[in-house]
Amino acid sequence: MTLLPRLALRQLRSQLRTTEWRALLLATWIAITLTTLLTLLGDRLERGLMRESANLLGADLVLSSSRPLDPARLEQLNVSGIEQTQVVQFPSMISSPDNAEHPPMLVSVRAADAPYPLRGEIETLPAHDSPLPASGEAWVEARVLQQLGLKIGDALQLGYSTFRISAELISSPDRGSGFRSFSPHVLINRAELKATGVLAPGSRANFRLLMAGSPEQISALEAQLRPNLADHERLLALRTDQPLTGDALGNALAYLKLAALTALLLSALTILLSLRRFGQKQYTRSALLLNLGLSPAQLLRIYLYQLLIAWAVLALLGLATAAVLDTLLQGWLSNLLPQRLPDPAALSWLSGAALGLVMLIMLGLPPILSLARVPVAHLLRGDTPPQDLRARALLVACLALLALTLFMVLKAPLAALILLVLLVIGGLAFGFIAQALLQKAAEPLARKLMLGRLLRLRLRQQRKWHRLQSAVIVLLLTLLAVVWVSRADLLTEWRAKFPTDTPNYFVINIQPWQRSDLDTFLHDNSIDSTLYPMIRGRLTLLNGKPIRPQLTPDQLGDNTLRRELNLSWMATKPEHNELLAGQWWSSTPEQPQISVEQDMMEDLGLKLGDQLGFDIGGQSVEARITSIRGVQWTSFRPNFYVIFSPGALENYPSTWITSFRLDGPRKSLATEMLQEFPSLTLVDIDQLLGQLATWLKRLGDSSAMILGLTLVCGLILMAVTLLQALEQRRFEAALIQTLGASAEQTRRLDLLEFLLLGLVCGVLASLSAELTLAGLHLELLHVDPKLHPGLWLILPMLSSLFFVVTGFLIRRPLQLDQCYRLLKAQS
Amino acid sequence: MDQSTLSPAMIEARAISKHFNTEAGRVDLFTDLDVTIARGESLAVIGRSGAGKSTLLSLLAGLDTPSSGRVSIDGQAIETLDDRQRAELRARKISFIFQSFHLLPELTALDNVRLPLEIRGAADPERDARHWLSEVGLADRTDHYPAQLSGGEQQRVAIARAFATRPGLLFADEPTGNLDEDTGAHIIDQLFRLNAQEGTTLILITHDAELAARCQRRLRLHNGTLTEA
Ligand SMILES: Nc1ncnc2c1ncn2[C@@H]1O[C@H](COP(=O)(O)OP(=O)(O)OP(=O)(O)O)[C@@H](O)[C@H]1O
Ligand SMILES: [Mg+2]
Repeated sequence: MTLLPRLALRQLRSQLRTTEWRALLLATWIAITLTTLLTLLGDRLERGLMRESANLLGADLVLSSSRPLDPARLEQLNVSGIEQTQVVQFPSMISSPDNAEHPPMLVSVRAADAPYPLRGEIETLPAHDSPLPASGEAWVEARVLQQLGLKIGDALQLGYSTFRISAELISSPDRGSGFRSFSPHVLINRAELKATGVLAPGSRANFRLLMAGSPEQISALEAQLRPNLADHERLLALRTDQPLTGDALGNALAYLKLAALTALLLSALTILLSLRRFGQKQYTRSALLLNLGLSPAQLLRIYLYQLLIAWAVLALLGLATAAVLDTLLQGWLSNLLPQRLPDPAALSWLSGAALGLVMLIMLGLPPILSLARVPVAHLLRGDTPPQDLRARALLVACLALLALTLFMVLKAPLAALILLVLLVIGGLAFGFIAQALLQKAAEPLARKLMLGRLLRLRLRQQRKWHRLQSAVIVLLLTLLAVVWVSRADLLTEWRAKFPTDTPNYFVINIQPWQRSDLDTFLHDNSIDSTLYPMIRGRLTLLNGKPIRPQLTPDQLGDNTLRRELNLSWMATKPEHNELLAGQWWSSTPEQPQISVEQDMMEDLGLKLGDQLGFDIGGQSVEARITSIRGVQWTSFRPNFYVIFSPGALENYPSTWITSFRLDGPRKSLATEMLQEFPSLTLVDIDQLLGQLATWLKRLGDSSAMILGLTLVCGLILMAVTLLQALEQRRFEAALIQTLGASAEQTRRLDLLEFLLLGLVCGVLASLSAELTLAGLHLELLHVDPKLHPGLWLILPMLSSLFFVVTGFLIRRPLQLDQCYRLLKAQS
Repeated sequence: MDQSTLSPAMIEARAISKHFNTEAGRVDLFTDLDVTIARGESLAVIGRSGAGKSTLLSLLAGLDTPSSGRVSIDGQAIETLDDRQRAELRARKISFIFQSFHLLPELTALDNVRLPLEIRGAADPERDARHWLSEVGLADRTDHYPAQLSGGEQQRVAIARAFATRPGLLFADEPTGNLDEDTGAHIIDQLFRLNAQEGTTLILITHDAELAARCQRRLRLHNGTLTEA
C-alpha cells in the first residue's frame, strides 16, 4: 500500500479508541441505515402504488360513480378500440352459514365483469384459470378466511346467495379508493350480484367503468369526458390521479421521512461536533506531519482517505443493517398493503451510502482544510489554534449544501423545511428556557450548600452546552412521549368519549318495502332505533336563483356544494339534534319547510327564511328554511344537513337508514338480522374501527422503529456534546481539587449538575408533550385534553438518569493519571 | 553545485524584529537582531522563559516571518520564497527536535523514523531507519510503540528521525527539557556525536548550562537584545 493510505489507515485505527470517532461512526452508520431503509421503502411504495398504478387501477382510465352508470354514458363511451368492463364495489356483511358461532364480518365486495382487470393481474392461491370466479364461487382475501374460520371450499353467505370459496386472493388491482381499499375483499362475478339482493336502487355502492386502450385513444377519451362529469362521477387516470391507497401511504411515508429527517439532523450535528473535536485534537499532529515534510495537499489527502475508509466500512455495515430492518418492516406491512411490494430499484440501495459520503465530506472538509493550514511553528510555541474564519465560512456553505441534499433525498422539501424551522425555533426556545430554569434552581442551592456555589459557577460556565443539550433532549423526549402516548391512546380515547349507548351498527340501503318488517324485527328484539328516510339531492338554488353565482369563491369550495347531500324528511325533530333557532313544523305544512344544520348555514351564509332549491334525480324541489339544528356528526347516528317537512319528498325514490347498539351476547342479533334480511347492508362500526386501529398500530410500530433510531442518534449527540467541554471540566475539576475540594466533592458537583439538568429537561419535556397531546386531542379528535401524570414522573426520571449515566461514562477518564499528565503538559 | 552551498554562512539574519499585536496592545519581543551562523557550527540560545527564544528559532528556521528584517538560510532569502518553496527548503535541509518528542503514537519506533524518509521518497527507507535507530542504540526496540518507550528512548527515536533525512541544519528546542539529568546527559552525548559525525549545523535552545557549554557558541536573549555569552 502506498504511504498516504497506509498512514490514513493507521491513523484511523488508533483513533477508533476515541469517543469522538466512535460517536461519529455510530452516527454515520445510523444515518446511512435510515436513509437506505427509507429510500427502499419509498421506492417500493412508489413503484407499487404510483409508477405501476396502471396495474393498481386495473385499467388506463376509470370512470367511477356513486350511482349506477348511465346507459347513455356507456353508449357514449363505447368507442371502437377501447376495451371496457364494469365493476361494482360496496361494503357488506358476510357470514359463514356453516360456522354460526363466528359473527358476520364487514368486507368490501367487488362484483366484476370479465375481462377483469384490464391492466395488471389477479393473483390467487390456488392459481386460477378463469379470469373471474365461476358462477356460485367467490375469491376472498386471507383475512376473511381467518376471521370467519373458513378454508378454501367452504361456503359463505352474501345477501340471499351462498358462494363457495374457490381461491384465496393474494393480490389484485382495482381495489377502489379510500377506506374500502383497506377492508378485506371478496370478489364475485357481476352476473351473480342481482341474486344476492344486496343492491337495490339507491343503494350505496361505487360503480366503475374500466377502460383500456392506446395512449392516444385514452387521452382523447379523457379529454372528452373530463369537462362534463356529473357531481357523482369521478375520472381516474394514470397521470392525473394518485389513485387509491396512494394517498394514505404517501402520508404515512411522509411522516416516516420527517421522523428520519430529525434523526439525520441529529446525526449531522453529532458528526459536526465530533469532527470539530477531532480537528482540535489533530492540530499538533498536523503541524508535526507538515514538519516531517508532508505537503499540505498530502496532509489533506491523508485525512480524506481516513474519512473515505471509514465511510466504505460504514456503507457496507449500514447497507446490511438496512437490509435486515427492511425485511422486518416488509413483514409488518405485508398484511396491510393491497399488493405485494415490488423490488426496489437497485440504485436505491446506494442512496444511504451516497448521503453518508456527502455528509462526511461536507462536514469533514472544513476542519480538514484548516488542518492543512496549521503553522509548523505551533510545535515550538504550543499555542492554541486560532479562530479560522475561512473554515467557518466554508462550514456554513457546506451545511447549506448538506441541508439541500437532505431535502432532495427526502423528496418532501416543504414539509422538511417547516419541520426544520419548527425544530430550530423549538430547540432555541427550550434551550434558553431550560438554561434560565437551571440558573434559577441553582440560586437556593447556592445559599444552602457549599457545592451550590460551585454549581452556580459550573452552570454559568457550561451554559452554552447546557442549552444545546437541553434543546436536543427536550425535543427528543417530547417526540417520544407524544408518539408513545398517542400510539395506543388516541383511538381508545376517541372512542371512550362516546356515551356507552353510542350505536355500533349502521344499517343502510334499507328498501322501502323492507321498512315495516325491519321495524317489527327491531321492536320485537327491543333494539332501540329509528329508521330515517334518505334521499340524495344537490343544492342548486338560493331564493329562486342559481346559488353558485351568489357565493364567494371560498363558499363555493364548501363540501355541501361539491357533492350530493343526504336529505331526509320527518315529522318530529330527531332527539339527538338540538334546535338552535326557528321553529320545528307542527304538522304537515302547506309549503315545504326545511331545517338546516348550523355549520352549513354559516358556511354558506344562509339565514332563516331563505328559500333553498334542490335537484333530486333531475327534478327541482324548493323549501324555506324555518329552523336551524345543531348536529353532532360523531354521534354515530344518522345525521342530515337538511331535513324536510313531511309531504315534500315522499314521492321520490328513497332508501332508509338506521343505527343501533348491540352489546355482548346481543351481538348475535346482528347475525339473526342478516339471516332474516339478507339484502341489508349492515356495517359493524366496531369492526370498521378495528380495521383502522390495526392500520394505525402497524404504522405506529414502523414509526417507532425509526423513532428508536432517532433516539439513539440523540443519545450519541448528547455524549458528544458532553465530550466537547471535557477539557474544560477536567481543568476545572483539577483546579477545584487543588483549591481544597476532595475528589468526592467534584464527583458530587457533577452529579448535582446532571441531576438538575435532567430534572429541568424532563419537566420541560412533560410540559411540551402535554401541550402537543392536548393540541392533537382538540384539533384531531375534538376530545377534551386530559393530563398524563405518568409523563411528569417518567420523563424527568428518564432524562436525569440519562444525563447521569452518559455524564459519568464520559467523566471516567477524569480519574485516570493520564489526565493529570495531560494537565501538567498543558500548564 | 548550486550557488547556495558556496555561501559560507548557514544562516544569516539581518536586523530582524518581531512584534505581536495583542488585545492588550503591541508587544515588541525583540528589534534589530543580527545573527550569523556558520556552516557546521553548534550554537546555544539561552535566556529566561518568555524571552522569545522559540520565536527566534522559528524565524531562523523559516517557519515564521519577521516583522522586519531579512533571514536567509543556506544563501536563500526566506522572504523571496512562497509557502511551498519554504516547505521544500525545510524538507531538503532542516530537521527539528522538540521538547515533547512529538512521535506519532500509532507508529512503531521504526515506522516513526521511516516516515520522513518515505515522504521524501528515499531509496530504502527501512534500511536507513534501522541504521539510525542503531546509531542511537535502539536497534532492539524497532517494533515498540512510543507508549512502550521511556521518555529518553522516545527522544532518541526523535533524534534518529531528525538525522535520518541527513539535514544540513538541525534545530532543537529544549531537547532535554522533559528528561531527568542522567537521561538528558546521555541524549546530549548522542546528539553531539551525531552532529560531529554528520557535520550538521546545530541550533538549540536550552536552560541547561551544561548542554549550552558543549556548544561552540552561546547567545543570550534578554530584554530583546542578543549578546554572546
Ligand atoms: N502569536 C503570538 N501572539 C502573541 N504573543 C506571542 C505569540 N507567540 C509568542 N508570543 C509571546 O512572545 C513571548 C515569547 O514567547 P516564546 O515562546 O518565544 O518564549 P520562550 O523564550 O521560548 O519561552 P520558554 O522558555 O518558556 O519556552 C511570550 O510572552 C509569548 O506569550
Ligand atoms: Mg520556548
